[in-house]
Parts: sequence; C-alpha cells; structure tokens
Amino acid sequence: MEAARRGDRDAAETLLERHELLVFRTCRRLLPAGEDVEAAVQETLLRALKNLGRFRGGGSFGAWTVAIAVNLCRDRLRRKRLVPFLPLEVRDENGADPLASVPSSDPNPERVAMARQAVQRLRMEVSLLPTRQREVFALRFFVGLDLEGIATALGVDVGTVKTHLHRAVQRVRVAVEEARP
Amino acid sequence: MSIPHLNDDELNLAVLGEDLPPEVAEHLAGCLVCVRRRDAFLALVEEAREADPDEATRAGVRERALAAWGAPNGRHWVRWLAAAAAVLVLSLLPLRFNRTAPLSAINVDAVMVEVDQMLDRDPLSAVAAEEIVDAVVPVSAESGERSVS
Repeated sequence: MEAARRGDRDAAETLLERHELLVFRTCRRLLPAGEDVEAAVQETLLRALKNLGRFRGGGSFGAWTVAIAVNLCRDRLRRKRLVPFLPLEVRDENGADPLASVPSSDPNPERVAMARQAVQRLRMEVSLLPTRQREVFALRFFVGLDLEGIATALGVDVGTVKTHLHRAVQRVRVAVEEARP
Repeated sequence: MSIPHLNDDELNLAVLGEDLPPEVAEHLAGCLVCVRRRDAFLALVEEAREADPDEATRAGVRERALAAWGAPNGRHWVRWLAAAAAVLVLSLLPLRFNRTAPLSAINVDAVMVEVDQMLDRDPLSAVAAEEIVDAVVPVSAESGERSVS
C-alpha cells in the first residue's frame, strides 16, 4: 500500500489485482443492463489510485474501493436518470443467455427450465427492491462482502445494514417461494 | 413437544448465517423441511450470481486504469523540486567563480599608499621573489645590506 502511494506502478498493479474483482461484481450488479461495466470498473480503479492518499486504513481496502464503485454507479444512474433494471433474461455480449450454456446435471428439461425461471425471478425481485436494500443485497450475496464491509462501502453503520438486509431477504425470498409451482 | 418450523424472521436469520435462538437452532439442525427452504434460497442466489470476468478482461481494464494513472502522482513534485534546484545551482555558479570586486568598490588611493610603503621597505620585492633576489644580489655578511640599484 505504501509503495503504491509513493507511485510504485508494480505495487499499484498488485493492489488492483487483489481487489478488482469486487469492483467488477459491484458495477455489474448495480449498473443497469446496457451500461458499460468495464468503463465503470476502469474509472473506479483510476479514482482509487488517484485517491490512495485518502485511504486511512480504517476498513479494508476492498470495501473502500467498493464504496467508490457504489458512488460511481449512483452518479451514472442519476446522470442518465436510469432506473436500475435487471432484465428477466440476461444476455451476454453475443446475445446469448449465459444460463443456457451452464451445464445442468439434471436430465429433466422441465426442471432445468423451472430452475432458470426461478433465477430470473430472483434477479427481477432484486432489481425491484428500494435502492438501499438492493445495494445491500447485491453487496452481500453477489459481491460477497461481510456486514462490516457493506457498512464501510455504503457509509452506514452495521445495524442499518442488518435492517436493510433482513427486509431485502424477506421480500425476495417470499416472492421467489410464492412463484414456485 | 415439537418446535414449529422456522417463521419468516428466523428463516431470514438462517439465510444470513446469523445466530439463532438455541431452540430454533436445534430445530433447524433436525428439520429437513426448514433446511431445504434455507438451502434452496441460498442455491438460487448462488446461481443468480453472474460469472466473474475472465483474466484477459480483468487485465485489460487494469492496464487501462494504470495507464490513465500515468506518471505516479507522488513523484511529480519531486521532479519539479529537482528541476528548480538545478536551475538555482546553475544560476549561482557564475558567482562562485567570479568573485572580482567591482572597480568602483576598490579604494585606489589606499592601494597606492600600500604599494609605496612596500617599495620603501624593499624595492626589489616589486620585481621578483626574495630568494631570486638573494641569488642575483648576494647579501654581504658584514653589512647585511642589499644593493640598491
């Protein structure tokens, strides 16, 4: 960290390598479909490098970079007046459904199709959550941060994170269970 | 007495991996229905996670960020400081090797008085060093005088 602060490029690269995945996951889940995730990640990493001197080390560097990513995603949503939206059918850059290429051990096509519908249902329910609940849910389950990390990333206390997380899980879980045949 | 299945709040706690009241935890440990509800939701969430980007994508983004970062910020001021120091040293060098006082600062009358006094004491000192004068004009042991020409 100190070497990167002094401008050591190799140290900075190592730092990014360790934490960039959190930023990728965050941007992918908080930006709406169609937004340039890679550009957002690149901008986040650049902001982190430029502001290394401001990182006090109170929390984890990963959570700090996620905080930058969250703010950047919020800015983009505000600027473009975009409504967070996760499509029912996720498409990759080739227009294919990534879920379709995932090999399933289940030989029953009907059950495979139902499982995919359940995943899409869950994504949709997450996208419909209020902003803060959606952020907390995504950071916990899709990015993989713990409660303290989420609190750092969102600038709130752990109690607030727990409250939002419980509400989000309740809403998504019940909706998904009710949708099951 | 059997404990009922987990309610919504308890199931949410279980999903989040938080501490459960002992009797609830005990029920969960032995209830296949509750375990399946918890695990089904967690498995669904896991499936909903999109795959992480491949190494090539990550490396490309990382490289672009580092390139945009450019010359390390922390060294900019050091470079400017070194350049300023070099300019300062170069501008002071002539003073170091040219210490001749300006003519206006020389007291010509005082210098001339000092020269006259020196010539009065030893006229040859204005011509050559003392040992040369001694070689050319030997000093007589008796008189101890030097010739004055």
